[in-house]
Amino acid sequence: MIKKLQTSLIALVVSVFGFFSVPLSTASAADCSVHIGDFDWDSANIHTAIGAYILENGYGCDVQVTKGSTNPILAALIDNQIDIIFEHWTDNNVQLIDPELESGNLVFLGVNTPASEQAFFVDRATSEKHNITSVEDLAKPEIAMLFKDPENPEKGRLTSCISGWTCYTINLVKLKEYGLDDLYTNFDPGSGGALDAAIMAASTKNQPIVTYYWTPTSLMGKPEVDLVRLTEPAYDESCWSDMMTVVEDIKANGPEVYKPSCACEYKDMALTKLATGKFAKEQPAIIDFANAYTIPTAVVNNMLAYYVDESGGDMEATAMHYLETDSSWESWVPADVAAKVKKSL
Amino acid sequence: MAPLTDTKIFMKKIPQSVYYAIFTGLFGWLLVVSFNSSKRKPDSVGELFTDLSWLNNWPKWLDTPLMKWINDGWKVFIAEYGLIFDAIGYGLLRGYTELKQIIVQAPWPVVIIAVIAITYFSSGRKVGTTVFVGICTFFIGFLNPRFWDKAIETTTMVVLGIAICVIIGIPIGIAMARNEKVRNAILPILDLMQVIPAFCYLIPGIILFGLGAIPAIISIFIYACPPLIRLTDLGIRLVDKEVIEAAESFGASRRQKLWGVQMPLALPNIMQGINQCTMMALAMVVIASMIGTRGLGDEVLLGLQQLNVGAAIEAGLAIVLLAIVLDRMTQAYGEKIQERNQPVKKK
Repeated sequence: MIKKLQTSLIALVVSVFGFFSVPLSTASAADCSVHIGDFDWDSANIHTAIGAYILENGYGCDVQVTKGSTNPILAALIDNQIDIIFEHWTDNNVQLIDPELESGNLVFLGVNTPASEQAFFVDRATSEKHNITSVEDLAKPEIAMLFKDPENPEKGRLTSCISGWTCYTINLVKLKEYGLDDLYTNFDPGSGGALDAAIMAASTKNQPIVTYYWTPTSLMGKPEVDLVRLTEPAYDESCWSDMMTVVEDIKANGPEVYKPSCACEYKDMALTKLATGKFAKEQPAIIDFANAYTIPTAVVNNMLAYYVDESGGDMEATAMHYLETDSSWESWVPADVAAKVKKSL
Repeated sequence: MAPLTDTKIFMKKIPQSVYYAIFTGLFGWLLVVSFNSSKRKPDSVGELFTDLSWLNNWPKWLDTPLMKWINDGWKVFIAEYGLIFDAIGYGLLRGYTELKQIIVQAPWPVVIIAVIAITYFSSGRKVGTTVFVGICTFFIGFLNPRFWDKAIETTTMVVLGIAICVIIGIPIGIAMARNEKVRNAILPILDLMQVIPAFCYLIPGIILFGLGAIPAIISIFIYACPPLIRLTDLGIRLVDKEVIEAAESFGASRRQKLWGVQMPLALPNIMQGINQCTMMALAMVVIASMIGTRGLGDEVLLGLQQLNVGAAIEAGLAIVLLAIVLDRMTQAYGEKIQERNQPVKKK
């Protein structure tokens, strides 16, 4: 009796496994295979998810995604282990990438998001009420008192970058150069999460806030958060390098070594895409698509907000949401590919 | 004995099977809700029976929307009750800034002398402990002059945090020791407070109280209060039955028993609780530097973010010294009480 039960159990297990393994093994045998490199921040993830979805469902490619930190992924790309990346912070890796572009090992695929910003921001309500549009407008005691620092009530609080990051020291020097040093504390929020929470708190409670921040980020896409970028003196190469000398000196020797120099806005960085030269020769159709791929910063912010708030942390669902609600992507691909993508949604 | 009979009556009123039915119903409802609220569900329920591939990997639609509930509830909570927290935060901030200003503005030798004096009297005039604490206090500033003011900021937060813990924690501990039902209700809450990762309440704390010292003090309460509550409860329950019977035979009321017999005898345990509370408060202040809290933790974080191991360890040592000072001060006081409580013949 027991033996009979055993054999029937085994038969059941085998049949169950056999049954389920069938649908798993049908996904291979594609026209092409693409290996995408992805990074550990969410704006890169969203571009990878959209790109992968179109390649998989529109071009019928077999897509493999490898996620990692900047340096290992770029090294793998240079080594041709990875075929393509959909977001690249160009200015951060000039020395590494430029020689590869010259030798033809890598090819440049244009911009994916027109501008990433780093700047000081003020919430819209305060900006409109008190007409604050530039850093100069901040340099009045009565304006500083709008942003009163609860722990240091004689000064305003400028919620700054995280201490230890270069931007914290840059902001310190900027405050001194713009004459805001006596009026504001360069307040270190301690961590990226804390900075986000501070901006979110001010926005939900309608309290005035002046803060350093950057885009594209999910926070900027949230409906509650409405920040106005303050204008600063325009970016100037020599001014920036003078300032960075002082910044590096302060980082090494402490704030006492500050010397008056110069200050200007952060350079807006274009985010780009890269592929290997080998892949570009093999798959010209995909390269045409990747070259055409570009999404405005505001849309990326909104998608990131959707990713955080609505999708439940599901990047593929976010990509599908974008493909369903926005139609600008249809111009990147031939009509038949667009139709296939649409059908799969 | 009373609580036991209470639960028996309670059990008789509602049969066990009703509980099971309620729980099963809740579970089923949760399944339906998760399925309906999912964005990745199949087009129809019928598909689940024809396409069984969802048994392979955990299906995307089998997902309790707890995150969404918490987020929605949180939004309403901030909108409705945000003002109350602003008021609490404002009160705490006033206390914090005033206390900090007084100590920071005092000349540093005065502060060291004050620490020595407090230790000397609280330890029952032990010279060794006093000298050791004095040296440790001096070395906090001696490591790096910048650390002196930061150590005072940290200490102020710790002291305020402990004050809140004592005001709220000791009455809760007493209530737990006196009533089994209260104990059963509070124990799981204490487990939650001790185990939940600090960042789960640090970041929401910013939204309620803003960046800086106040969310840190609130976090100190959440993190450091449980051991004080537990040790108060334990201390009172550990008082000898015979002693209590003796008190009862003299006709002591419940209140007289508590304040005249149980509390004095439990005091060494309670002091141990305050000591543990202090150590945990200090640990939390260091973690709280991740949410913009000033103090010694801030220096550790800065050192680590710049990969300056020397700076980080220097600041870490200052925290250890501060911990030793606070520990010896509270410990010495507890020992003094314990000695006073010992029967005379042992001396």
